[in-house]
Parts: sequence; C-alpha cells; structure tokens
Amino acid sequence: MLDNTWNNILDWFRDRSERAKLIRSFNESARSAFVAGIAPTLLKASISKGESSYKHQFSNWLNTGSRIQAFTGRVLTKDELIHIGKVILDDKVLVRRLIVLGWDTLEIHGDAGAYGCKWQLKDYIPLPKFNENE
Amino acid sequence: MKMNDNLLQDSIKVAGQVIKKTTDTGAQINWWMWLAVAELGIIAFLILKEKLKPKDTARQRFKNESLKEDIDFNNIINSSFNSLQLYDELKVKCHPDRFPTDMEKNSIAETIFQEISKNKNNVKRLLELKEEAIQKLNINF
Repeated sequence: MLDNTWNNILDWFRDRSERAKLIRSFNESARSAFVAGIAPTLLKASISKGESSYKHQFSNWLNTGSRIQAFTGRVLTKDELIHIGKVILDDKVLVRRLIVLGWDTLEIHGDAGAYGCKWQLKDYIPLPKFNENE
Repeated sequence: MKMNDNLLQDSIKVAGQVIKKTTDTGAQINWWMWLAVAELGIIAFLILKEKLKPKDTARQRFKNESLKEDIDFNNIINSSFNSLQLYDELKVKCHPDRFPTDMEKNSIAETIFQEISKNKNNVKRLLELKEEAIQKLNINF
C-alpha cells in the first residue's frame, strides 16, 4: 500500500509537469504560426473541467478537459472548429499522449462564450484493457 | 557526628567516581549505538528503495511509450488552417482518372491518391505526397 501511494504521488507530479509542458509547447507553436502568418487565428490551449461521462482508465479526478480556444484574429466558423478538432484527433500520437496524461475530453471553442464542439478522446484510439493486479 | 560527616564525604567521592566512570564508558556505547543506527538506516533505505521502485506493469509501459513519442505541434497548427486547401488541390491533380491510357502512371496515381485521402488532415505528409506526384507523375502545380 505504501509503495502504491508513494508511486501515485510521484506519478501525479510527473503527469502535472508533462501536462504543463504539452500545453506550453502547443501555445508556443500556435503563437509562432500566428506571428508568421501561417495561422489566421491565434489558438490557445488550456485545461478545462471536462466531461465526467467521458472518463476512461487514465482519467484524472479533476480538470480532464483539454480546451483549444480561438483567441484573437479571424472569427472561426463551426466547420473550421470541427476541422481543427479533426486535425488533432487524426494525430494518433497526440491523442495517445492526451489520454495517458489524464485528459478525456477535447474541446474546441470560438472566442466568445461557450460556443464550440467537444469530443470523447477514447473513441479515437483503442485502449488496451489493463490488469490492475499485474 | 564527625563520623557521619566522613561517611557523607566518602559517599560523595564514590558517587563522583561512579559518575566519571559512567561518562567514560558512555562515550564508547554511543559510538556503537550510532554505528547500529547507521546500519539500520542503510538496511531501511535498501528495503524501501526496492519496495518503492515503480512497478513495470502493462499500463505503465503503455504510458511510458506514449510519453516517449515526439509531437509535431507546428504541423498540427499548420494543418488546422491549411490542409483543406492543399488536399482539394492534390485530390484533383492526382486523381487516377487523369491517367487513363498510361497504366503505370495510373497505378502510381492510385497509390498516391489513397495516401492523400488517408492524410487529408496532415500538411506535412501532403507536401511529401505533392513532391512525389511532381517527380513520378510529372504534374505541374
């Protein structure tokens, strides 16, 4: 029990650091693309509450949503928001990373209010069944 | 009365000697005690180190493998805004129906077209396919 608790504490800190690193990398790339004119809209990733019904075996207790929001620049249409979501969901490596770091919901939002779309991440990658007693 | 005083003085002397002896031998006992404590500490550390080592479970392996892979965020951002346009251009120019007489080119176009459809949200891969189409199918973009 002691070893489990200790490893869980270490894992929690490690995951927290990896989550922050991933969000930071995304935001840096989005900023560079916006400045270089590659992207007409500045995207910003953040951590959100998430959808509790989308939980999976790696889900965190709290804040399980990964939100990408159009920040400034051109206002995005619903089709564009859906397309951004599809691009992210098509990247299997990124989806796998999001899942193992405890996220279960992907949200793409416009710049105003709660206008946006959300997806259940576990639908886009087959998660093996793990034996917890192994 | 005087005898009592002598006895008292003798007792004090004896007590003083006992205290001195105890202090002298106490230094040696402390040394061994600290050695034992250090030994205990080392044993406890080795046991805990072994016990607290992260278990190599299938779940942990899956997680570690996922964390090792690199993610190309620049490509993701670029694809979010520019992949549709490139895909539309490529799917028209590389369609196998454009090469009905040349069977070799038709076959190459078929393969490239399938790859284009599979990677329609990935600008980096689409650009590679565009280059391949220019070289193998002699298409001008």
